Amino acid sequence: MTAKIVVDSVNHLYRPPRGRPVLALENISLDIREREFIALLGPSGCGKSTLLYLMGGFLPIETGAITVDGKPVVAPGPDRGIVFQHFALFPWKTVRANVTYGLERQGLPRAEREARAQRFIDMVGLTGFEDSYPSQLSGGMKQRAAIARTLAIDPDVLLMDEPFGALDAQTRHLMQTELLAIWQRSPKTVIFVTHDVQEAVYLAERVAVMSARPGRIKAIVDTRFDKNDPAVHKSQPFVDKVDELWGLVREEAIKAEQREAP
Amino acid sequence: MKAFVRYSPLLLIALAWEISSRLGLVSTLTLPALSDVVAAWFDLAKSGDLVANAATSLWRGSIGLLLSIFVGGALGIGMAWWRPLNVLLGPLVELFYPMPKSALIPVTVLWLGFGDGSKILLIFLGCMLPVTIGAFNGARGCDRMLVWSVRSMGASRVRALWDVVLPSAAPELLNGIRSALALTFVLLVSSELIQARSGLGYLIGFLGGGGVYDAMFAVVLTVALLGFLADRLYLVAMRRVLIWRE
Amino acid sequence: MARVAQRAPWVSAIGWGAARFLPIGLLLAAWELLSHSGAVTPFMLPSIEAVVARIARDAGTGELAVNLGLTLYRSLLGFAIAAVAGIALGLFISRSAVVRWFFDPVISVGFPMPKIAFLPIVVLWLGFYDVSRITMVVSDAIFPVVTATIAGIQGVEREVLWSARNLGASERRLQWEIVLPAALPQILTGLQVALPIALIVDIVAEMIMGGYGIGGAMATASRFADSRGVFAGLVEIAIVGFCLVKAMMLVRRRLLLWHPEALDAANG
Repeated sequence: MTAKIVVDSVNHLYRPPRGRPVLALENISLDIREREFIALLGPSGCGKSTLLYLMGGFLPIETGAITVDGKPVVAPGPDRGIVFQHFALFPWKTVRANVTYGLERQGLPRAEREARAQRFIDMVGLTGFEDSYPSQLSGGMKQRAAIARTLAIDPDVLLMDEPFGALDAQTRHLMQTELLAIWQRSPKTVIFVTHDVQEAVYLAERVAVMSARPGRIKAIVDTRFDKNDPAVHKSQPFVDKVDELWGLVREEAIKAEQREAP
Repeated sequence: MKAFVRYSPLLLIALAWEISSRLGLVSTLTLPALSDVVAAWFDLAKSGDLVANAATSLWRGSIGLLLSIFVGGALGIGMAWWRPLNVLLGPLVELFYPMPKSALIPVTVLWLGFGDGSKILLIFLGCMLPVTIGAFNGARGCDRMLVWSVRSMGASRVRALWDVVLPSAAPELLNGIRSALALTFVLLVSSELIQARSGLGYLIGFLGGGGVYDAMFAVVLTVALLGFLADRLYLVAMRRVLIWRE
Repeated sequence: MARVAQRAPWVSAIGWGAARFLPIGLLLAAWELLSHSGAVTPFMLPSIEAVVARIARDAGTGELAVNLGLTLYRSLLGFAIAAVAGIALGLFISRSAVVRWFFDPVISVGFPMPKIAFLPIVVLWLGFYDVSRITMVVSDAIFPVVTATIAGIQGVEREVLWSARNLGASERRLQWEIVLPAALPQILTGLQVALPIALIVDIVAEMIMGGYGIGGAMATASRFADSRGVFAGLVEIAIVGFCLVKAMMLVRRRLLLWHPEALDAANG
């Protein structure tokens, strides 16, 4: 299988406005296959989001290289759509205007934009809320709108930065099932950042576990199951996998916790 | 009815004013009766003096304010977007922002004389920094993720500035403009009171100097009312623009 | 592990200090160059040394001290009255429905009005004395204080009040020990808005009414086409304004040590 995204010995220095720079990522190398669903799992502050932002081209890559389809990443582009934890919807645009924004940037004619936007709004279940502003929506609905906005521009790669982290437990579960269904219908390369072990095991085909700062790839674990089995969460192999990953993340979380304490 | 109950204290004040001067509780020389003031207002309006001077004042005020909005807004957003500009201008903004703006009145007269030019320059200089600071704070508070989002949907950096940074800055920018609007009236009236040959402030001074107090009261109340109405209209427009915040 | 290159902290501290003063230096240099270039007359823009010499002369004759003292006395006394009366009025409006009924429309109509237009009326009533100037300052500076106090008191969380009552605080203690401190950040914001207003209004009142004070001196200089005097006044008043606003920020930081914003400021 060919690699869609190649991360090759990437380091990243975080420079706070005041104070000394911190090594956030150390020597990260990772091959991501075409149409793969991979999760980046680690305690908070391990640099997993930073790695995602580097792939997105939002932060400059100083050492090492990241290529998508063999081309080095230098800037953000519509081939890599992103969904953020706090939605990043335009608060001054309605749901419809949010979703059509990217299509407008791609120069689609108006009628086509509207039709395409409606299709994705329907797909994420926001029919009837086209003219609402984000401030009028619940957290789950906001994230649906953000996902529709990103899917509408049909990116090859979907970067997801703890997209369900700000949602309540029930909504999160519902959104996970729906994301999986969307991915199974039209497989894209998905890189999914999370600190939730269950979520990683349930959604991803592979999970890359990252260590506490400086972030390194600690292990890569295969997590393929029959995800359509409604009882998958309770199956023994699933539970074992969660335990195994939990063990890996736990030590890192404790390290991170101790470092955070003043 | 609700509005009547709400604003009845103002009516009471007006009534107390009328009665106290009619009954001779205060000298009508220093406080002409409200009814006389209203009559004087109609005389002034009929003679054309009020309209001509009001037009002059409003013209000066709106040009100065518009200039300050464009220049101040561009500076503030530029400072938030491009760091070198902030390093260069930030300390100057910090230095001049607390300066009592009215101190500029004699300087602008020195430069441009008694006419429209000095008033426009004064309002432009005085109002620019509140707008700059509003735009800067608003644009600096722009969510980085929003900029990243539009960039990943194919927007250029300049496009992102227009599509994301400017709307994000809107609430604080519009608040800055509101303070600038209030300041416009203050600077306008004071500069016209001090050194001018036309305008509402000049008319107040002229009538007061001639001892025509009922007419002077009429113009003072007109200025106060214009300032109040401008603010209310602006507020309505601002709520319209920011409807998405509800 | 990769080496992290690091500058010594003092190098960057000096770098930042220089960066902050550089633009001010550039501005002064531009002023000096422009005034000597012949592009503008010394009347339009006197040179820095001429203005400084003028300020020094005024300082020597004692004129500067008198003008500065009077301006500070009028604006700060007006500001202090506005602060005390404004906070008290805000408290009354929050507590009593009758007071609220009367003052709510007065404030909502009076706040956005350019009250400076009333100056000739105030002079008519109170004469060409300090009391007129201070009345103007108070009548303008009190509005932001009142509205900020009301907003601050409204914003006090119910849970805080309930737990204080639960712990046995009397209504009187509640006002002094819970409500006012909780509303303090907003009240201070109102005072920070009111202080520059007090200065602006006092300067205008001095210019219109003449006499001593920096505004009065500037008006006199302007009348006699004495541009050095005008620029000297501008520089003096800019420095006074800057120092007062900075002092107010220090007061805020000192009073709000318990507030999260103090922590933000400390962490930069």
